Amino acid sequence: MRILVVDDDTLNRFLLVHMLEQQGYTDTFEAEDGVVAIELAKRIEPDLVLLDVIMPEMDGYEVATMLKKMAGDIYLPVIFITALEDEKSLARCLEVGGDDFVSKPFDKVILAAKIRAHARTRLLSKKAYEQNKQLSFYRNAVEREHKIVEHIFTNALSVDKSFTRYLDYCLNPASDFNGDLFLASASPTGGMYFLIGDFTGHGLASAIGALPVSQAFQAMSKKGLSLMEMAETINQTLLMLLPDDMFFAAAIVEINNTGKQIDVWNGGMPSLLLQDPSGKIVKRFASRHMSLGILENHEFASEVERYEMQFGNRLVAFSDGVVELENEQNEMLGDEGIEKWLNDQPDINVEGFLSNATKYLGSKQRNDDITVVIFTSQPLEPVVNKGIASKVPLKIVVELDAKHIKSADPIVDLVSVVTNQLGLYGIHSELFTVLSELYNNALEHGVLELDSTLKQSDDGFFAYFTLREEKLSALESASIVISAEYRPDENALSIRIKDSGTGFKQDYMSKLENVEKSYGRGISLVKELCESVEYTNKGNTVDVVFKI
Amino acid sequence: MSLDREFSEDGKELTIFLEEKFDFGKVQDFRLAYTEGNDGVSSIVINLQKTEYMDSSALGMLLNMQKSLRDSVQSFKITHCRPQVLKILQIAHFGKKFDIA
Repeated sequence: MRILVVDDDTLNRFLLVHMLEQQGYTDTFEAEDGVVAIELAKRIEPDLVLLDVIMPEMDGYEVATMLKKMAGDIYLPVIFITALEDEKSLARCLEVGGDDFVSKPFDKVILAAKIRAHARTRLLSKKAYEQNKQLSFYRNAVEREHKIVEHIFTNALSVDKSFTRYLDYCLNPASDFNGDLFLASASPTGGMYFLIGDFTGHGLASAIGALPVSQAFQAMSKKGLSLMEMAETINQTLLMLLPDDMFFAAAIVEINNTGKQIDVWNGGMPSLLLQDPSGKIVKRFASRHMSLGILENHEFASEVERYEMQFGNRLVAFSDGVVELENEQNEMLGDEGIEKWLNDQPDINVEGFLSNATKYLGSKQRNDDITVVIFTSQPLEPVVNKGIASKVPLKIVVELDAKHIKSADPIVDLVSVVTNQLGLYGIHSELFTVLSELYNNALEHGVLELDSTLKQSDDGFFAYFTLREEKLSALESASIVISAEYRPDENALSIRIKDSGTGFKQDYMSKLENVEKSYGRGISLVKELCESVEYTNKGNTVDVVFKI
Repeated sequence: MSLDREFSEDGKELTIFLEEKFDFGKVQDFRLAYTEGNDGVSSIVINLQKTEYMDSSALGMLLNMQKSLRDSVQSFKITHCRPQVLKILQIAHFGKKFDIA
C-alpha cells in the first residue's frame, strides 16, 4: 500500500506520515506542492493520495482532477485533508473527483478507518481491472482462433456447386459455428450422395467433429461406397474421437444415376419427407437407427431404406432446429407444423422455409442451427466423379505359389491396388467380378482340376466346395501368375492369368442365357464385362481386355 | 462368421444380409442362412446393401437357394443392390428369376 502525501506545510506532512507509520503504512511518499505531486505520482503510481486543498502554484482541486485522469480505469482514492469548513468547499472536493475529506486537525482514528475503507475499494478495483484485462486477452485469442478455424471449415466443408444444382439447401447456424452439417458429393456411378447431420450442442465444440466426418464422406463418395459402409465408418471414427456425451445425428442419402431411386439411412434425424407436386406427403423416412458415435461396431445396425421416386417429387430433409422452433407462446413447431408448410406451399423452397421460420419465431430468439435440404427428383446429367485416371502406363504382376494360393485370397487386394493406384473408383465391382472369375477358373479348373458339373444341385454345390477345400489343403506345388497392365492411351486394362495346371476343356464355358444352371456362368459374365477374352495354351493362359 | 438375418413379425419373410464380398467363400454361411429355422417362411429377401464384390459363384448360390426352396417359398427378392452389382445381375439376366428392387 503506497500512499502519497501532498501538503505545502512540512509539519502537516510530518504528522500525516508519522500517523501512517503508526498504522503500519511505511511505503509513503511526500510532495510539497501539486506539480511535484503529479510528477511523483507518474513515477511511483500510488494506491492512495492524501491531499491538501490550499497550496501555492496548483491547488488540491486541480491536482485531484489530474491524478484521477492519470489513474484511468483503476480506482485511485483521493482523500482531501482540509482546514476549510464551509459546505461549498467541501462539496467541491467531491465534485472535482475526490473521494472523501477529513478536517484539519485530523482525527487519527477516523482518518485511519477511511484509509482502510478506500484501500479495500482500491484493491477490488485493481482486481476487476486485471480480470477485465485477462478477459479481453482471452476474448481476442478466442476470436483469432475462431477466425482460423472458420477459415479451415469454409475450405473443408464447402459444397461443390457443380452438382448441387439439383439440391436446394441452406445452413443457418445459431452461433459462429455450426453443429449442423451438410455435405454433398458425386458418386462415380453417375449419382450422388448427400449428408445432413447435427452434432449435439452447437458452437466450436460441436463443429469439431465435422472435419473427420467430411473427410470420410468425401473419400467414400469418391469410391462409390454404400451408405451402410459410410454410416459404419463415420460411426467408428466418431466413436473413437468424440467424448461420450457427444454424438452426431445424421441422415445419409444416395441418389442413383436415374435421379429417381434413393437410399436413405437415418440415424437420429427428424423424418425425411417425400412430397408429391400437390404437396401431399407420400412417404416419411423416419429415424431407424441411433445417432452416430454411440454404438460399438458390433451393435451398429446400418439397414437402409430404398425408394423409387417419381420425377417432380421432392425429398425434404431438415435438422431438429426447424422442428424445435418455438413461437411467442412457447409452442414448438413440430413435425406437423412443417408438414403443414409443405401442404400449404407445395413448392416452398429453402428460403421459404427460412422466412416461415422467422415468422413463426416472432420476437423470439432462435437458439439452434437450422438446416434444410430439398432434392427434386429429375434426370441427372452425369455428374460423374470417376477421379482423374493416371496417365502413366503401369504393370502389376502378382506371382502366387502354392503357399500363397492356400492362405490368401488375392483378388480384393489386387482390385484395391489397381483402383487406388490409378485413381479409378466405381469400377471396383466389375473388376472384382472379372478377376475373381478368371482366378477361380485358373485355381479350380486349372490347378485343382475340379469338375464344374458337380455344382448342378444344392448338395453338389456343397460337395464341390468341400472337395475344393480338400484339394486346396493338399496342394503342394503350383503357381498362378496374374498380371494387369494399364494402357492409358487405350483406356484399358490388359489382364493375363496363367496357371501351372494341365489345362481345362473349353466346353465348361456354357452360355450365359442358361440361367437354370448354377455353374458355367462365370466366363459368359467375363465376356460381357470385357472387350475381349482369349484362352490359349490349353486353357492355362487367359488374356482379357477390360475397358475403363 | 455367419450372415445377419431378420424375420418379419409374422415370421413369413426372411431377410438375409450379405456382406461386402459375396463369393465362393460364403457357400456355407449362405446355405445356413436360408435353411436354418425357415419353417413357415414364404418369402426370402436378399439384401445386398453392403455388397460391393460378387462373382458368378454367388449367382450360382442364389440359383441353388431358389431351386432348393422352390416348394416352400413363393417370392425371392434381391434388394438394395449397389449400381455396380445391379449391373452384374442384369448381365446375368437375373431379373427373370428374381424380383430385383
